[in-house]
Amino acid sequence: MTAAKIIMNEIKGYHRFIKLMMVLVGAGALASLIRFIFGLGATTNLNDTYPWGLWISFDVVTAVPLAAGAFTIGIVAHVFHIRKLEPLVRPAIVTGFLGYSLVCVGLLLDLGQPQRGINVLRYWNVHSPMFEVSMCVMAYTTVLTLEFLHPVSERFGWHIPLRLLRTLEVPFAILAAMISTLHQSTLGTFFLIAVDKLHNLWYNPLLPLQFWLSAIFTGLSIVIFEASLVHRYMGQPDESELLATLTRIIPWVMGVYIAVKLYALAFLTHGPLFDRPALTALFAAEMIAGVFVPFLMYLTKRIRSDKRMQLRAASLVIFGLVLNRFNVSMFGMEQANQQIYVPSFIESVVTIGIIAAHILFFVLVAKYFPIFEHHPEATDYSIPDHFRRIGKDGHGKVSAA
Amino acid sequence: MSSSTIDYGKTRAFLIDTTKCTGCRGCQVACKQWNGLPAEKTRFFTGEGYQNPPQMSEYTFTRVKFKDYEKHGQNEFAFYKEMCMHCNDPACASVCPVGAFRKTPEGPVVYDSTKCIGCRFCMVACPFGVPKYEWSKAFPLVKKCTGCYSRVKNGLHPACATACPTAITYGSRAEMLKEAEKRLKARPDRYFKVIYGKEEAGGTSVLYLTQQPLDELGFRKITKRPLPSYTWQALRLVPGIFLTVGGTLSAISWFQHRKERVRREEEE
Repeated sequence: MTAAKIIMNEIKGYHRFIKLMMVLVGAGALASLIRFIFGLGATTNLNDTYPWGLWISFDVVTAVPLAAGAFTIGIVAHVFHIRKLEPLVRPAIVTGFLGYSLVCVGLLLDLGQPQRGINVLRYWNVHSPMFEVSMCVMAYTTVLTLEFLHPVSERFGWHIPLRLLRTLEVPFAILAAMISTLHQSTLGTFFLIAVDKLHNLWYNPLLPLQFWLSAIFTGLSIVIFEASLVHRYMGQPDESELLATLTRIIPWVMGVYIAVKLYALAFLTHGPLFDRPALTALFAAEMIAGVFVPFLMYLTKRIRSDKRMQLRAASLVIFGLVLNRFNVSMFGMEQANQQIYVPSFIESVVTIGIIAAHILFFVLVAKYFPIFEHHPEATDYSIPDHFRRIGKDGHGKVSAA
Repeated sequence: MSSSTIDYGKTRAFLIDTTKCTGCRGCQVACKQWNGLPAEKTRFFTGEGYQNPPQMSEYTFTRVKFKDYEKHGQNEFAFYKEMCMHCNDPACASVCPVGAFRKTPEGPVVYDSTKCIGCRFCMVACPFGVPKYEWSKAFPLVKKCTGCYSRVKNGLHPACATACPTAITYGSRAEMLKEAEKRLKARPDRYFKVIYGKEEAGGTSVLYLTQQPLDELGFRKITKRPLPSYTWQALRLVPGIFLTVGGTLSAISWFQHRKERVRREEEE
């Protein structure tokens, strides 16, 4: 059989859902091609009033905090050294790696001159939040790629890189947290320049802090969301006990977030807050359904440890975050008498394609690489070692320092 | 950004006295000619009033807005020449990731199209809605009023200021402010008592005098603080936060791992 035939046979064996994702990714790729041939003006509904649309609001501003699972679980499992959470780390890193790679794709699609993207490295402007985010996203995508090499080297038995990667596990987790803190918050700084544009419900000087805090609790919720779905649809073991550990951490962060948000609303905003009913409704939906309800759910012990309720609370948090980022980057920026922006067909197909690509690649990576078999009690932690003997029982001491 | 070292009093500025504007739109035409901008196909009353084109665009860097109002039972027009304000501390220059915008010591805020990556942050940031995008192109760039930098550098006045028969005075910002205040004092009944651009967005190189209240004419109400200061108050913390997070997490990690090491040693 030729290689092509082998691949075709392999694909034939896939589940219907994966095939559907492949079709969506294909449609997205086609739509991006059309965008490059005909240009932004012809294929999107962007204009001088709305220079940023769906691609910035979702593919960048929302996708980055949604990919925050990797760094948050990295802190919890590696820095705070809660070893039992180890099984949650790898899937989160894969999600983060895919998420950031697709953020790069989304960003390049949105740039008018993507071929000049490298200019960010040539002409620095440290006063620009966009400069900072670009640098961070590039750096963090590199870190995630290296972290992702972990299961890859395990799969192919590359022992020396594996040894190196294991030594660097904790430094990488710390580096990831440092870089993520910067760009997650700086995405909020983007909108600080829009003083007289972004509505007072969202505009306040603490926006970067809010973006960072919400990225942390959403990152952890994403880990819950993903582990629950993987358990339900991919036949992986039930991790709800481990997830219950996370659900004890999340309400702390959410509590701080709520406090910061209320403080900012009460003391740091200038001008009317509830003058536009549509925006008030969006704000209420974001805060009540997306923050207060899951906050109370996570505080209830019975709900916290129930796997179905865990998933529901996590989904609400994710909903709240998506709505929050759209409120800040799109709805809140629309002026009272402005015509309303609706993404074009091409824009929508591309974004759906990017979401589908994320799901598709995750499933495929999970299929071909050891990302779930990472239970510390089940996995042999010793490094396959051809050069010198480790412990007598075949298990080296876990050296993660 | 070189703007911090610029003496703003010495930069060139436009003083646009809208009470003297006749709405001839000579400035619009001169701007198109000097910048080689194509005409736009327009129809009347597609914008907000008796003006064409309906808004500034990649082909139109300046435009005279017409405002209807009634005086002594008569319909009258007030005019407002829209253009880049050439801020002292421009938002577009501060947000551009590649620093494609620059406040020149002569006054104009200029754009280097060879650096631009097309992220359109300048358009989001500009409080006056000035930078426009070449939506018609496959690989678009930003377009905006250049303040006729090439003319100014060679000792000429900008095209619109040269063409204008009545309303535009061009000179150093300090002189223009003095002149504006002199006019306000000399004819208090003629003017609304604000020089728009004196403090808006931290001060601009375009100053307006009007008869009507500013919001009635369509001037945007804008913060008096330079816009870059809003983002800088967060961005300046970046190096500190980066190191604090790194240091704290390293310490926690060391402590947590030590705890486990101690526990294991005790067990053995």
